[in-house]
Amino acid sequence: MRKRVTWGRIFVYSTLIVGSIIMAFPLVYSLLGSFTDLKDFYANPWLPIPRKLYLDNYSVMFTPTFSAKVQLWQWIFNTLIRCAWYIAVPGAIAVIAGYAFTRLKFWGRDFAFLYLLSSLMVPGIVFWIPTYVMMARFPGAGGNTWMGQGGHGFVNQWPALLIPGLVNVFYIFMLRQTFYSIPIDFEEAARVDGASTVQVLWTVYLPMLKPVLTVLVIFQFVAIWNDYQWPLIVSSGNPEIWTLALGIQRMLFVGAQVKGLPQGGTVQDYPFAFAMATVATLPLIVLFLRLQRFFVEGVQGFALRG
Amino acid sequence: MSTTAKQAIIALPPLSTHEKWTRWRYRHRQALEGWLILTPILLYYSILFIFPVVANLYVSFTSWTGVYDSPKWVGLANYRTYLSHPYPLILFNTTLFALVTLIVQTGIAFLIALLLNEKVFGRGVYRALFYIPTLTSAAIMAQVFFAFISPFDGIFNAILKALGQPIVVWTISTGWMRFFIIIYTIWRGLGGPVILLLAALQGIHREIYEAAMVDGARQWALLRYITLPILRPMLIFVLVTGMIASFQIFESVLLISNGGPSDTTNVMLLQIYNDAFVNVRLGLASAGSIIMAIVLLGFSLTNMRLLSRGQAES
Repeated sequence: MRKRVTWGRIFVYSTLIVGSIIMAFPLVYSLLGSFTDLKDFYANPWLPIPRKLYLDNYSVMFTPTFSAKVQLWQWIFNTLIRCAWYIAVPGAIAVIAGYAFTRLKFWGRDFAFLYLLSSLMVPGIVFWIPTYVMMARFPGAGGNTWMGQGGHGFVNQWPALLIPGLVNVFYIFMLRQTFYSIPIDFEEAARVDGASTVQVLWTVYLPMLKPVLTVLVIFQFVAIWNDYQWPLIVSSGNPEIWTLALGIQRMLFVGAQVKGLPQGGTVQDYPFAFAMATVATLPLIVLFLRLQRFFVEGVQGFALRG
Repeated sequence: MSTTAKQAIIALPPLSTHEKWTRWRYRHRQALEGWLILTPILLYYSILFIFPVVANLYVSFTSWTGVYDSPKWVGLANYRTYLSHPYPLILFNTTLFALVTLIVQTGIAFLIALLLNEKVFGRGVYRALFYIPTLTSAAIMAQVFFAFISPFDGIFNAILKALGQPIVVWTISTGWMRFFIIIYTIWRGLGGPVILLLAALQGIHREIYEAAMVDGARQWALLRYITLPILRPMLIFVLVTGMIASFQIFESVLLISNGGPSDTTNVMLLQIYNDAFVNVRLGLASAGSIIMAIVLLGFSLTNMRLLSRGQAES
C-alpha cells in the first residue's frame, strides 16, 4: 500500500517537472542565448551557457546603427499608446454600458443587448477585409475624395490602428454581470443624497468595480502588447507606426547588420534574435509574476461567468 | 366651503414650460440616460461590427480588387474556387490542425490539472510555468521557433551535428512541419485549459470521493463516474473555445512554415490573408471567411448559449 503511494508520487512529480521543463524550455533557451556570443551559442546547442556575461546583444540596441535600422523605442512607444487607448476607451464603454444594461430600465434595452451579443457568433476573420476596405476608403482621409476614392485612406496611418475594436462586447458582458452582483442599495443611498448618474458611477461603482477592471486592464494590455494580425494588415508599409510585435518579428534577424559583422553566410545571429524576443516577452512575464492572482482569476472569470 | 377649496386648487399657477420639461425629464430619466449611453455605442457597433458582416457576405459573391474598381457580381464562382486545388487541401489542413491540437492539448491539460489537484508541493509554480507561454507573442515566439528548425544553421540541426547525425532539412518535410506547428500551438495554448480544469477540479468536494471510496469505488471509477460528469460543463467550455481558437491559427503557420511545402501546411486564415492582401482578390478571400464562419457556426452558437446560460443564473 505504502509503496503504491510512493510510485504515485513519483509519477506525479516527474510528469509535472518534465512538463514544466518542456514549457519553460524555449523561454529559458532564448533568455540564456541572448547573453551568449555566436561562438558560445553554438558551442553547446542543447542549452546555450554564457561562459562570460555577453551583453552586446542588448547594448547594441542603444547604438545609432541600430536605431537607423530598427526603431525599437518608437515601437515600444506606439505599443504603449495603443495599450492605453484600447484599455481606456473599451473599458469606459464597458462600464457605462454595463450600468445602462443593469441599472436603467427602458424600452428596447434587452433587444439592444442581444443585438450587441450577436457579433460573438462571428469569428474575427470575417471583420478583416471589410474593416481594411473601410480604413482604405475612409472619406476625405489620406488623399481620398469624400466618396473615398483615389487615395490610400488610413492604411499605414495611425487612425487605422486606433479606430476598430473600440466596443468590446465581451467586456460589456463581463461588466454587466458584475453590476448584477452589486446590491442596488448603495446607488439608492447615494441618490437620496442627491448624486447624479455621473457621480454614482464615479464615486459609488468605480471603487467596487476595481477587481473586474483590474482583470480587464491586464488582459487587454497583454492582448494589445502582443497584437500582430491587425497591425500586420494595416501598417506593414510604415515602420514608423509599427507595433512591438510586428516590428520585432520583422527585424528579428538583423543582428549581423547592426553589429557590422560580415554578412553573406547562411548563419543568422540567433543570440541577437533571442535578445529582441526577450525585450518583447520579459515585461509581460514580470507583469504576470507580480499580478498572478488577477491573471488566474481572470481566466476563471471568463469561463465561470460564461 | 367646498367652493373655496376648489377655487384654491384652481388658483394654483399653471406649470411653466420649463417646469413641465423638468418633470418629464425626471419621469423618463432612465430611458433618456439609457439611450444617451447606448446610441453612440450602437451606432459604432452597427458600422464596425454589423455592416462588415453584411458587406463581407455581399463581397463574397463578387470579384473585387478593392482598390479602384467596384465589386462585380460573379455568383457562386468564389465558392466554387474552394472546390479546386489547393483549397480542399487547405480546409483539410485547418481541420487536421484544429482536431489534433484540441484533442492532445485538452488531454494533456486534463492530466496536468489532475496531477496539480493532488496535494503537490509548489502548485503555484507549476501553474505559472504552464501559463506563461500563453502570454508570449504568437508572432515573435513563432519566429523564435523557426530558429530551432532553420534548415542549415538551426538549433535542432546543430544538435544532430553534435550527435554526429546527418542534418535534416525540416522545411521540405510536410510531416515535420505539421508536427512543429501542432507542437507550437499546443505549447502556447496549454495554460488556459490547465487553469480552468484545475479550478473546476478544486471545486469538487472531497466528501463525494470519500463517500464513493467507502462504497468501495476504485480510482478509475472515481474518475469515470464522479470527476468527469462534474467536469463536463467546464470541459465543454474548454473544447468549444479551444475549437474556435485552433481553427483560426495564423501566426504560427505564417512564420514557421508559411504554408509550405507546397500548401501542405497552409491553413484558412493564412490563405484568406494571402488572397486578400497579397493577391488582392477580395471576393475570394471574403468567401473564405464566410466559409470559416459557417464551419464555426455550431461552435459559436454553443459558446453563446453557454454565455447566456451564465446570464440566466445571475
